[in-house]
Amino acid sequence: MIRGKVAMKEEILKGLAQAVIDGDLDKAQHFSKEAIANKIDAYEAIMEGCAKGMNIVSQKYETGECFVPEVLCSAEAMTTAMDMLKPYLKADTTNVPKKVVIGTTQGDVHEIGKNLVTLMLEAGGFKVIDLGPDVSVEKFVETVKKENADICAMSSLMTTSMIFMPDIIKAVKAAKPDTVTMVGGGPLSPSTAETYGADGYAKDASVAVKVAKELTSKRD
Amino acid sequence: MKDRLSGGERMFGLLTGQKIDRIPVSPFAEGYAAKVCGASIGDFYSNAKTNFWCQLMAADMHGYDSSPFYGYASVGAWEFGGKIEFPYGVGHGAPYVTKHPIETPEDVDRMEIPNPKTAGAVPLTMDVAKMCNSLGMPAVFQIGGFITYCGNAMGPAKMLLWMIRKPDVVHKMIAKIEEFQKGVVDYFVNTFGADKCMAFSGGATESNKLISPKQFEAFSLPHEISMSRYILDKGVHIVLAHPCADQNGNLPFYKKMRESCGWKGKYVWNFGPETPLEKQIETFGAHDVIGGNVDPPSFQVKTFDEVVALCKDNIERGMKNPSGYVLMPGCEMPPLTPPINVHAMMVAARKFGAYE
Repeated sequence: MIRGKVAMKEEILKGLAQAVIDGDLDKAQHFSKEAIANKIDAYEAIMEGCAKGMNIVSQKYETGECFVPEVLCSAEAMTTAMDMLKPYLKADTTNVPKKVVIGTTQGDVHEIGKNLVTLMLEAGGFKVIDLGPDVSVEKFVETVKKENADICAMSSLMTTSMIFMPDIIKAVKAAKPDTVTMVGGGPLSPSTAETYGADGYAKDASVAVKVAKELTSKRD
Repeated sequence: MKDRLSGGERMFGLLTGQKIDRIPVSPFAEGYAAKVCGASIGDFYSNAKTNFWCQLMAADMHGYDSSPFYGYASVGAWEFGGKIEFPYGVGHGAPYVTKHPIETPEDVDRMEIPNPKTAGAVPLTMDVAKMCNSLGMPAVFQIGGFITYCGNAMGPAKMLLWMIRKPDVVHKMIAKIEEFQKGVVDYFVNTFGADKCMAFSGGATESNKLISPKQFEAFSLPHEISMSRYILDKGVHIVLAHPCADQNGNLPFYKKMRESCGWKGKYVWNFGPETPLEKQIETFGAHDVIGGNVDPPSFQVKTFDEVVALCKDNIERGMKNPSGYVLMPGCEMPPLTPPINVHAMMVAARKFGAYE
């Protein structure tokens, strides 16, 4: 009987992961309902089901096995499942996720890259505060302080707006010195990131989570 | 070396296979041209006279060889009834979309083909083209880049999602874009004559960082082929093609497009820096010109000596193309580039790119 329950739980978690990998909204709904009906812990369903699926999608994106349209479908499936599972999350004060404040820098309205990073970070267990596009230096600093963030992540697709990154990094470090700073986006390179004084650089969303985890664990 | 030819003579010579003194230089300078001429980037994009004058004067100051034309990457939203803002704000570098005209699949069904003479940025493009034409320079219009164009009309994220969820809607919209663009071609050809026109084609949403080569093949290739045939049949024989960012995976399809047109006319290919020159030469070298693809942000962040070295490397590799080479960045020159680094292109071209 217990073995049957374990097998069922495994099947549901696998189903959730596969629904996310396939970007299948119907299956995401179905397995979320199953998880709730079978009293599977919602946090476990999200992390061991949806997030696991999204991590596989991230790996596939990194290796060129899938592209942004597929990732967006997976994101939609993950959101569908999470919207259903979130109301069942129990308050857990022992497992506090690392907080990331993210945004595209001032003057830049491009969001796809930043949104993919947000998605992958959430799937990686981070709590992300997304400030959206066209974010001023002051807004980054103010939010990092207010949220007591662990990471400040900046994205830019334009050479005219990446120039604000050094100012943000300097101001964030002055306001909260232990904040990890990360940059990414089309015109950035590891050497530019270093020149700007960033702690980390991620070439795309698939590596952003690894970089974020490495930098925060080093800091801790 | 001292230049023997003017910029126009050099470009003409290159495109017609004549002997020229050195490789031409085209820094793809738009926002940079505004900055170096003391104009705002907002005025540069919202005012045709400013646009033309800044490009003309920047070319004259530096001595580079390209002529002015009007265009920007967010094209497609305004033309189909959406809204853009001109780049007057802090950190802005080019016009950007504030309202995408397509919100629902039904919007695509309802969408009428806009008037090619009055839609969006076409009047600005025409005004700049007229000023160019009056000085004997090509009248340039913007075509192709169907994925980019459609993404600007729908919102890029929505379009990318719909490519899987609602592919018919995306196909339908792209077909409408093609019809509209053909109207633009007719308008320019009828105004100037085909031999005075040049097409600019390109976009970044086609990048394989976003879509797969298969998606490019399914959604874009048939329209790229159709449009290419259309302009060549009309008699427009010069195309500046800018497949932006990483389009290595799309390269065979661009070749297919050229093959399907019997390699008629002359394309100048300006890929992003991710696509090696050797691969481009292998693909197009027997017929087309390659526009070198120096890493654009390097112009903004590196030193003069470093930029000269990057250009030298690009020149030495690019000059191996049997059908000619132009020294270019792999995308628009960053607007905040120090002028000395545009001069670095000229220094490198004269020192390492001489034919005489």
